[in-house]
Amino acid sequence: CLIVSGCSSSQNNNGSGKSESKDSRVIHDEEGKTTVSGTPKRVVVLELSFLDAVHNLGITPVGIADDNKKDMIKKLVGSSIDYTSVGTRSEPNLEVISSLKPDLIIADAERHKNIYKQLKKIAPTIELKSREATYDETIDSFTTIAKALNKEDEGKEKLAEHKKVINDLKAELPKDENRNIVLGVARADSFQLHTSSSYDGEIFKMLGFTHAVKSDNAYQEVSLEQLSKIDPDILFISANEGKTIVDEWKTNPLWKNLKAVKNGQVYDADRDTWTRFRGIKSSETSAKDVLKKVYNK
Amino acid sequence: MYHSAKRRSSSRLMMFIIALIIFIFGLGLNLSVGASDISIIDSLKYLFVWDGSKEQLIISTLRLPRTLIGVFVGASLAVAGALMQAMTRNPLASPQIFGVNAGASLFVVASLVILPASPYSSVIFAFAGAAAGGAIVYMIASSGGMTPVKLALSGMAVHLFLSSMTQAIIILNESGEDVLYWMTGAIDGSNWQDVITIAPFSVIGIGLALVFSGSVSVLGLGDETAKGLGQNMNGIRILISLIILILSGASVAVAGPIGFVGLLVPHIVRKLIGEHYQYVLPFSALFGAILLVYADVLARWIAFPYESPVGIVTAIIGTPFFLYLARKGRNLK
Repeated sequence: CLIVSGCSSSQNNNGSGKSESKDSRVIHDEEGKTTVSGTPKRVVVLELSFLDAVHNLGITPVGIADDNKKDMIKKLVGSSIDYTSVGTRSEPNLEVISSLKPDLIIADAERHKNIYKQLKKIAPTIELKSREATYDETIDSFTTIAKALNKEDEGKEKLAEHKKVINDLKAELPKDENRNIVLGVARADSFQLHTSSSYDGEIFKMLGFTHAVKSDNAYQEVSLEQLSKIDPDILFISANEGKTIVDEWKTNPLWKNLKAVKNGQVYDADRDTWTRFRGIKSSETSAKDVLKKVYNK
Repeated sequence: MYHSAKRRSSSRLMMFIIALIIFIFGLGLNLSVGASDISIIDSLKYLFVWDGSKEQLIISTLRLPRTLIGVFVGASLAVAGALMQAMTRNPLASPQIFGVNAGASLFVVASLVILPASPYSSVIFAFAGAAAGGAIVYMIASSGGMTPVKLALSGMAVHLFLSSMTQAIIILNESGEDVLYWMTGAIDGSNWQDVITIAPFSVIGIGLALVFSGSVSVLGLGDETAKGLGQNMNGIRILISLIILILSGASVAVAGPIGFVGLLVPHIVRKLIGEHYQYVLPFSALFGAILLVYADVLARWIAFPYESPVGIVTAIIGTPFFLYLARKGRNLK
């Protein structure tokens, strides 16, 4: 088996002559084509959904852009793992990444566009959509990551499992459910609805819900007046730490007039799981969360 | 001579009445435009008929405080800008170079990152930051005698320094992104608490400015002339600086840093009615309120039915105007 120390493709020569062509794969990513050879062992991930994918395929990354929040990583993978923080997702530390001697880096196509060339000098780098990804794109990214990790078959298995989990959850949704649903992120000074084209909006639709806000823009800031006009039947609120604008809205009679408030259909959604992780496992967690909260299942 | 002065004062009165009509119409428009369809007549009716309907609640708990915030913030910023321009004798001066916007932004961003669970609202931090920014600028500018140029330069330096600190916090911490909406200057989330916060400062600040408007006119003539007229220059400067701080600090605290109102309005007013600050200040207050109330209506139309921050609208109107001023700079004395 190969141990690639993260240099050029000439490293292939270390392997046996026969497996050379088999071990090197061309990965199509947002930047074009990248050749990855062997089975990467030292992987650095710069987005949380990539951590979800890599961990799902049985690999613990050596480096994670964890925004210096170990707790968040623990929440994502479900247990404490041993890794090195490479800084924030928005400004990962290239020196730390380089010192980890990775053999594969997975970066976000939007956030890390400007450092792509530098990352490429450190190790083979694939750029995929995470931050702006739809649910389908996340599935595609998972397939691509599985290929890059030389675990294509395992990836297919995991995806089949995932589809089954989602289908089982879907079957639990009452057939006559006709209420609409939406998730909003509450910040200190603003309230942002995630529309039908957002990642979590797609999860709601996948489960069979009608989405309350149909739009091609994934995110939409709204005032209390607009929220009361939309007046969703079920409202999930993903609140940032500390006091948010919703605490202020709760004192307004218009808030008490919302259908979701009157019928007790306002639920908390974990900010990390629902809107930051965006991986396959976290979409399952989110979907289970809906069924548990809305139907006590 | 007597007749021309009389004509001037009657034309000022005409202008004031016309502006007042435009202002009142703007209030009605501001109350009636929004995501929910409520006619002007109905929105005025709901000010008095409290039937507990959804429309009435929207008017009385959301739109009315928002309209009032537009009035207070617009008037305060315009008067602060007029005072600033008189004091520095610089036509491009605006409350921004007093460091208040940058100071307020820094404190609000820092409070969200360092004290996320703080029970105090961001208004308090914004006010503290505005005062701190203003105090730093004032101390630097006044050491060894304040001149308009020193004030402008130290103000800009402090503004840039504080802004870069704010940027650093936002880059290093994701929850700093929370205030990005506030930082463009927005009044769409205004509530009665904001009105209660700003109203006393706004009323007292504008009231004081009007009382001392004669001294402000003298200040605009320059130190030598003012001293010749027996004015205590430093005392007046400190007082005017305090009024600027109160007005712009309270505005930025409730609405975020809304640009260009303080720059734009005093120029229009001086163009229309001349340089006497006894008139420039009350007209600035009225025109400032008009500008922000109408800009806020536009802010609702740009991406209807969703809101845009009103600061974007004032920037769209203000930027070409600023460039025009800068180009004509030589003619502006």
